[in-house]
Amino acid sequence: MPMHTTSWESVGPSLDECIKCNICTSYCPVAEVTDKFHGPKYSGPQAQRFRENGQPQSPDHSVDYCSGCRVCNEVCPTGVRIAELNARARAQAAAEHGIPLRNRLLGRSDLLGKMGMIAPGLANFAMSNGLARSIASGVMGISKGAQMPQWSTEGTFASWLKRTGAQRLKSDKKIVYFHGCSTMYYEPYVGKAAMAVFEHNGFEVLVPEQGCCGLPLLNNAEFPAAEKYHHRNLEWLVPYARQGYQIVGTSTSCTLTLKEEAPDMLDIHSPEAHELAMAVWDMFEWLRELHDQGQMKTDFQPINMVLPYHPPCQYRAHHIGSPVMDILPLIPGLDVRESHARCCGGAGTYVYKKEKYQIAMDVGQELFTFFADQGPQVTMTACTSETCRWHIESATHLPCRHPIEVLAAAYGLYDLEKRRLVKE
Amino acid sequence: WSGLLAAYTAAKAGLQVQVVAKGLGSMHWAAGTVDVLGYSSEEMSRPVQQPLEAIQGLTASHPDHPYALLGAHQVQTALDAFSALATELGLPYSGAGGFDTPGYSTSGDNMLLPSAVGSLRPTFLAPQAQLAGDASRVEPLLIVGFTGLRDFYPELIAENLAKQGFQARAAFLPLNLLTEQGDRNNVHLAQGLDDKTRRMKLGGELKRLARPGERIGLPAILGLDDHVAAFSDLHATAGAPLFEIPTLPPCVPGMRLFKALRGRLWNLGVRVDAGMEAIGAGTIPPNGAAGRVQWVETATTSRPLKNRAKNYLLATGGILGGGFDSDHTGRIWETVFGLPLTIPQHRYEWFRPEFMNPAGHPVFNGGLAVDGRMQPVDSTGQVIYSNLWAAGGALASVDPIQQHSLEGIAIATGFAAAQAIVRAMAQ
Repeated sequence: MPMHTTSWESVGPSLDECIKCNICTSYCPVAEVTDKFHGPKYSGPQAQRFRENGQPQSPDHSVDYCSGCRVCNEVCPTGVRIAELNARARAQAAAEHGIPLRNRLLGRSDLLGKMGMIAPGLANFAMSNGLARSIASGVMGISKGAQMPQWSTEGTFASWLKRTGAQRLKSDKKIVYFHGCSTMYYEPYVGKAAMAVFEHNGFEVLVPEQGCCGLPLLNNAEFPAAEKYHHRNLEWLVPYARQGYQIVGTSTSCTLTLKEEAPDMLDIHSPEAHELAMAVWDMFEWLRELHDQGQMKTDFQPINMVLPYHPPCQYRAHHIGSPVMDILPLIPGLDVRESHARCCGGAGTYVYKKEKYQIAMDVGQELFTFFADQGPQVTMTACTSETCRWHIESATHLPCRHPIEVLAAAYGLYDLEKRRLVKE
Repeated sequence: WSGLLAAYTAAKAGLQVQVVAKGLGSMHWAAGTVDVLGYSSEEMSRPVQQPLEAIQGLTASHPDHPYALLGAHQVQTALDAFSALATELGLPYSGAGGFDTPGYSTSGDNMLLPSAVGSLRPTFLAPQAQLAGDASRVEPLLIVGFTGLRDFYPELIAENLAKQGFQARAAFLPLNLLTEQGDRNNVHLAQGLDDKTRRMKLGGELKRLARPGERIGLPAILGLDDHVAAFSDLHATAGAPLFEIPTLPPCVPGMRLFKALRGRLWNLGVRVDAGMEAIGAGTIPPNGAAGRVQWVETATTSRPLKNRAKNYLLATGGILGGGFDSDHTGRIWETVFGLPLTIPQHRYEWFRPEFMNPAGHPVFNGGLAVDGRMQPVDSTGQVIYSNLWAAGGALASVDPIQQHSLEGIAIATGFAAAQAIVRAMAQ
């Protein structure tokens, strides 16, 4: 397999900023619970000095245990791109040693989504069936305990859009919605809630052709395939960016990938990649801007509830502060409590890997304890990232919602319990 | 230090505060002590004995020094406020002779505490767990390390203390007393001692090692979140006075204070957002009258984010903190607002001959000139932006590392700036 070569242009030189203070290792949630990961400083800037493109052997294997949560980047006082150094090192190791079939599958959320949608009832049954999971664990190394996403049994988000096309709002104010694979195949109701919020605020929503952002592939070290995915999205979406459309997404890891992950990790620094990155918004980042301009509707119905909210690590990696905490507390009656836990542990596809499942559960303990500490009146939690929501649900046995579902419910447009639009 | 303390001071006075930071910094780097003035630039060969008294002298000798701008009284008020805060956070600090009576207004002397290489560091306030290391105490010292623990060498410490006339010896304990895992840093080891069973075991071993009358020095890993209980358990089980010696970064005593203070800020409704690097600002430039800051831009993964407030405090530090940047020609600039610096703009003027020159080096002594209210001023002394303040490592006319005054400067200027902002808001 050909080596994916990168110039190290944007990420590599940052290692020279490392002053060896070890703040990253002190806050790394993975190194805290396992010996298998030596910590961000050793695997990142330290080991990096011994890595080179085309070098016959990578200097360490522990980097595979980095979950990619980026807490290291967040706390680093000098701006070293540690998580990216690790991701690139994983890609290099993958190019040398090959990628297991399991990781190739986990990297293709679009393909998995499509496969499951052939017979979603059957697929869901298989994924919740003990025998099938034992086989998946034995043959593929997919952890038995991790909660698999449930394929939508009411069709894809695209099919719903098509069905309801005539009812969609037409307006001079237009935005582009990037829904991501999980809304497409697993949680179309998140997309419906987002559509309801956009339209309630007077925006016509364009949903042009779009593909997987490629993040699962990046996480599973398949850089060449991720590159193809990103180029495809550039082709589809840049024309909208050029016309001045804002491209808004509800999946925080997808929007992060379009903004920074794909261009930086894959060294795609074309003007097109930059144009797309500048046009992409996270849903609540966009809503906060709308609110700052005094244009967001606040005709909320009260929601009398204590709602613990976890801003996932992928969300904090946008470096946009806490926009969800700027918006949700506007809802009367809602007592939103922000978690300061570092990571839920799930980290995308990390928790699905048998050898990492226990680490993911141990890392998440900080968050699960926070949820438990909020008392028995808590019936629901919230988180901005889909894979985190699934992991949190499996660990807490409480439903976990996307904040956009909560907002849509506050507008009276969405049933938070049944996860469907009020008028459907 | 300066930013977080200013945030606390302002939030406690009822202001709405947000902290925007590139990463987590100085509290993790230093020893967790409050160095107010360890050395004066006139006399580098021996430490300052009475720092608050020495500060009074600065008004005449160095009128631009931040302490001189504030005056000894304001410095003392700020230290009092810090002391009260530390006690409230459950991490009491104390001064010389104050082991039994917390509250720093003891003798007013600097203490001399052993460092991780066995040298003595002058400091004014220290966390309770460091006080028994003070050189003024008479008990012989037993320095205990752990086999395989990086960056802490008890023999080196004991040997250097012995050379300075102290009765000191070294001993080792196995690392598996602290952890079952193979590769741990100081913070993880400290977390290990939050576990009561583990520290009781360690206390027993210490009791076995110590000879009657000895005090025991250990690396500063005696608990992280449950430090006070850990320290008192160990003290009781070992049956001897104990003290922590701050390690190389990350420094656990500093991290304890940071975690407790950040928790307090969260409770006060202050957001502390790390990972947000300030890269620029929107301003109305000064034009005869002072200008105004309209927003501070932070880097995101896409468009820069405009952070808006009524007043802004710059606490980004100097060269080490990333508040200043430079290029190969010697040009050096403040990174957010492009404020004027008193540092020479030619490389050959940055340094005096001799590394240890008592007068210090212009590149480290220079920085942002401020007035007595901690507002950055231009070369004619005019305030540059009416709603901008500065505190901490960025300030001119002091080299906090050379003078051993880093935390004292941060506390005094952070507190003063926050108070000035509170007063400005009240007008």
